Amino acid sequence: MIPPFQPPAPEAVAHVRELANRRLSAEDFDAYVSAPMGKAERDEILSLVAWFTRRYATPAERLAWARRAYARWTASAPRR
Amino acid sequence: MQGSAFDEIELFRAIAQSGARALLIGRRALVVLGIPVLTGDYDFWLHIDDIAAFNAAVAKFDLRPNRSPEEARAHGRYVLEDDERVDVLVARTAPTVDGGRVAFDELWPRRQSVAFSPGVSVAIPTVDDLIATKRFAARPHDAEDVRLLEALRSKERGS
Repeated sequence: MIPPFQPPAPEAVAHVRELANRRLSAEDFDAYVSAPMGKAERDEILSLVAWFTRRYATPAERLAWARRAYARWTASAPRR
Repeated sequence: MQGSAFDEIELFRAIAQSGARALLIGRRALVVLGIPVLTGDYDFWLHIDDIAAFNAAVAKFDLRPNRSPEEARAHGRYVLEDDERVDVLVARTAPTVDGGRVAFDELWPRRQSVAFSPGVSVAIPTVDDLIATKRFAARPHDAEDVRLLEALRSKERGS
């Protein structure tokens, strides 16, 4: 039997939030953004953009999607 | 699942009609450009002289500033919030992680206007300028956003 999902401890959630919101050093930031972009990565990004702009053709539709997606995410995310 | 009943198109209409020089930046600008990323707040870069006009425009949405215009000018940023959260940068220039500076007055003339419906549009920076703003906070997701924007830019340039 698969055990039920146990949400992570609040301390763990806080630590992850801290990591996600940390300010990178100039060196680390540049290392990330300057890494060469391969064809596979570029094609994947552009494929995602193509789907999104085809599915949500107008800026208003895209913003409405963003609100729905964020609401879904916050409903399922661990509490602070 | 739906978001709240907050009408962001009406928010953009109110801002546009106020005459405040406001650039939509942050992840919501990426969404407008066609990049599907998650975000919960609105980020604007506002001309430092237009705080009062901006605040008056959004007051009908119950968005209240956490600082007076004088305090906001001194700190370079403030927040408007109620059920929604709007982060507002009001500095004339903002520092980047690598020690550079980006000036609002340089970005504003290059802005793009995105129309939502008749009479409703929002100003966003060019892709190049949006990439520059991602170097302000320089968080891991800002670096990721730069790569997404660079892929989009490469497509626009046909390279």
